Amino acid sequence: MGTFNKTGAAVFILLFFISGFNQLTADEYERERNRMVRTQISSRGISDRATLDAMRNVPRHLYVPDVQRRYAYQDRPLPIGYGQTISQPFIVAFMTEIIEPGPDSKILEIGAGSGYQAAVLAEIVDQVYTIEIIRPLGEQARQKLNAQYDNVYVKIADGYHGWEEHAPFDAIVVTAAAEYIPPPLVEQLREGGKMIIPVGSPFQMQQLMLVEKGEDGRISTRSLMPVRFVPFERAN
Amino acid sequence: MRPMTRLITGLGLHSAALIAFQLSLMQLISIVQWHHFAYMIISIAMLGFGASGTLLALSRERLLSASGWLVPLLMTASGFFMIFAFRITRLELFQFDVYLLFVERAQFPVLAANYLIYFIPFFTGALAIGILFIKHAGQIGTYYFSNLLGSGIGGLIVLFLFGNIYPQQVPPLIGLLSVTAGILSSGRRHILPNISLGAVSVLVAIYLIAQPGRIETSQYKGISQAMNLPGAEVIYSKPDIHGLIEVVSSPALRFAPALSLSFTGEVPVKKNIFVNGDFFGVVPEYKTGQKAHILDYTTQVFPWEIGKPGKVLMIDAGEGATLAQAMSRRPKHVDAIIDNGGVVEMMQTVFAEHSGGLYLHDSLDIHVVEARNFLASASDKEYDMIVLPQQESFGGSAGINALQENYSMTLESFSLMWDLLGPEGIITVSTWTDYPPRTSLKILATLTETARNKGIGSPVQHLAAVKSWGNITFMLKKQPFSLEAVEKIRHLCEELYFDPLLLPGVTLEERQRYHMSDDAEFFSIVDRIVEGDKKVIEDYSFMISPATDNKPYFSQFLRLGNIRELSGIYTTDQIPFLELGYLIVVVTLIQGTILAFIFIILPLLRLRKSHRGKGGTLLYFGALGIGYMFVEIILIQRFVLYFGHPVYALSAVISTMLIASGAGSLCSGRLPAIARFPAGIGLIITLMLLFYTFFLTPVLQSTISSPLTVKVMLSLLLIGVPSFFKGFMFPLGIRYLSSYDASQTPWAWGINGSLSVISTSLAMLIAVETGFMTVMTVAVVCYGIASTVFAFRKNFFRI
Repeated sequence: MGTFNKTGAAVFILLFFISGFNQLTADEYERERNRMVRTQISSRGISDRATLDAMRNVPRHLYVPDVQRRYAYQDRPLPIGYGQTISQPFIVAFMTEIIEPGPDSKILEIGAGSGYQAAVLAEIVDQVYTIEIIRPLGEQARQKLNAQYDNVYVKIADGYHGWEEHAPFDAIVVTAAAEYIPPPLVEQLREGGKMIIPVGSPFQMQQLMLVEKGEDGRISTRSLMPVRFVPFERAN
Repeated sequence: MRPMTRLITGLGLHSAALIAFQLSLMQLISIVQWHHFAYMIISIAMLGFGASGTLLALSRERLLSASGWLVPLLMTASGFFMIFAFRITRLELFQFDVYLLFVERAQFPVLAANYLIYFIPFFTGALAIGILFIKHAGQIGTYYFSNLLGSGIGGLIVLFLFGNIYPQQVPPLIGLLSVTAGILSSGRRHILPNISLGAVSVLVAIYLIAQPGRIETSQYKGISQAMNLPGAEVIYSKPDIHGLIEVVSSPALRFAPALSLSFTGEVPVKKNIFVNGDFFGVVPEYKTGQKAHILDYTTQVFPWEIGKPGKVLMIDAGEGATLAQAMSRRPKHVDAIIDNGGVVEMMQTVFAEHSGGLYLHDSLDIHVVEARNFLASASDKEYDMIVLPQQESFGGSAGINALQENYSMTLESFSLMWDLLGPEGIITVSTWTDYPPRTSLKILATLTETARNKGIGSPVQHLAAVKSWGNITFMLKKQPFSLEAVEKIRHLCEELYFDPLLLPGVTLEERQRYHMSDDAEFFSIVDRIVEGDKKVIEDYSFMISPATDNKPYFSQFLRLGNIRELSGIYTTDQIPFLELGYLIVVVTLIQGTILAFIFIILPLLRLRKSHRGKGGTLLYFGALGIGYMFVEIILIQRFVLYFGHPVYALSAVISTMLIASGAGSLCSGRLPAIARFPAGIGLIITLMLLFYTFFLTPVLQSTISSPLTVKVMLSLLLIGVPSFFKGFMFPLGIRYLSSYDASQTPWAWGINGSLSVISTSLAMLIAVETGFMTVMTVAVVCYGIASTVFAFRKNFFRI
């Protein structure tokens, strides 16, 4: 009995740690995706139909590393290597909705990462230009995006310079936050356009910053409340 | 050499290797991960000491009878494992990442494997020492002396090695010390296995030293992120006692923290300096006559614009860009305090030309010293501006600095700074904005309280702050801000798209003209802090009350009592990322306690034999385990300020304590093993520590400006005398115990070891929550208990 218990415990522990490698079927992933939209996104106030549809359509599990697939639809960011993360689903939806993308929009994304945000945008807008500085990530993203979309253009380069040939952009999504906002990006933003930037350390994206370029070219910014959770309420 | 002499010499060598291995591991893990994670691993590894006691208790006779061949072999084996333990953990199979621990289950078995790999050399090494102590309980004083002396020297050896060879080369080298100890200790009959293992060890060590490779750091550390950039390369690398200094160059590395959105120029490419893999600063490119600096387009320009500072003091000015900005303003004189001498040397030699001779500038004096030490001894100086370094990091640092003692940011420090200001002087400090706001509010609370403590009735007239989308710069002025200065700030805000946060007469509309926030309460909290409303500080969900010398943890914001509330707001899985550093210490303590119980206490409890008077053994050796470590931590903390060099203070305190204690244990052999000696000496130590509780700080403060020789002599006295007496306690206890029930001695070794394991994190937790005074008080109580146990031995030992 004792031996059986020990063996059973060992098997259980082994299963626990390798359970991340289990794969779901396509239908199961779709169910997970719908549940994700229902419980993590629309329930938190995202109401833009195009955004919600895009989140339902893009198979997020294809944009995460194999070992993370099981967690692809969980309410959290996931590591994708090179110190980068794929944003939490809600963040992706929030960033998409806040820039008000339309069918004719031309969007620039800085930091393709896994390619997931670009895929979500590609479901909605006319053209998505995405730049990734880390070559292996950029190549993976290009391969995945090119297989699915013909309106996404991937460039492996330093995002600092933006993509001048295709400027101005209706909106810019900066997924890899930097300590400064590169002046060329501000320059390449259309007047009246919006730029959205997450601020936070890996796995902790609590704050988003919206940069708006007025019709007069004046720039203003707004820190959006921690979008992942309910507003921070102080004890008093 | 006589067998006993060889054994004692071997013990000293082996003890030196063990402590040096521990310190080198801490350094290496700090480079790969973070410094407090190093404590976590070390606490596990140190369990080896406790677990060895357990094994001794369970198999005492068998181990003692085999000690002739076993002790040398254990020493050699311990050295053998030391040589490659770290390199094994860097194999892909065993690489873990502290960030991923919270998001990837697969990290846990990898972490467990790391624990095991580090545990083995400590366990085998400690077992050898434990057997020797018990086998030679009659001469424990001599053996304990060798152990402590060796440990003290080991601390000094590793310090020397850190400054001269790469950190990954240190363990193979010091592992050879234990191998030598093993061979030295083995008699002719048992030398063959030791020689064989020794030969393999030497070959492995030579290979690892000759092929050190580069340490692969966590993918989330600054240097890893920089190395991911195109064309990134390490162009300079040098081991230093302050840490491994590396400079990375890439055409994509730029520096312009929270740059104004009105800036339309080119952001300059900069080489980045990393110390132990963490961003330290940039290599500035200073040009004489340079008019504008990139930081002039950040909030850090304001203090320079509202006055013409002639004499400037820059605290912790390692970040080169800040220094370049200061020099571009052409002040008459700048005193810059940089505690990392390695970086200063690098900038004055290798990068002297690249940085335009900035660090060799005629009007710049660089002081390689801890800032508080400089402030305390600079009472004859007067400054127009005192600049503190930028606090926190972009997007928040997730509390990784929470347990970093920061004496520059305490109330006492600001008080000294205020006293050094000229009539129009100004203190300025900037911070990255974090959410929820913590750092900015704590800075404000500190500045406000400083002003009030200096008799300023209305701090609002003396305070100004400007915020951008990512930064806030605070300014505290000795005189109220003039109308002209206020207008200048307003005008510059308009030009750079910044908003005044604090300014005499500021309006709500002005405060969010360019940068708005959904956090509507922030401004009212700011106003209430400046008005002196203590309740707003007390009620805030995070700790934002000013840091003090007693609790110098400026970056510690977590209130343990509020974890449940914060979990409700952010969900539990986010709490680690809000304040990771402090939580790691709490987890370390809990984990250490559980593991110490499971692997040390529980097996001992299962011993069928009944031990008389186990309570006395538990209390006495437990109290010694905690008391010794607590005193060590307090002394390090006090002497860091006194000497101004944390690394030197650390090594001076540890080495003096161990060597003095070793001398004490040697002398203890002259005393008979009767109860009144530990009782009496325990009382002497208790009284001494009680004296230190109240008078150590004033004594050190009053002599901080004395010549170095006086300070060194005084330190030797203050650290050495109580340590000498403390050296008596353990061997006297062991001898007493072995004289009436020898089977309890492994107990003593195990209990002492297990409580030492948890005492580092316990001391840290107590210091963060209630301050260093409490840690000292606990140490006094511990030695009081140890004395009492022997004073009333009949009640405790049931003799």
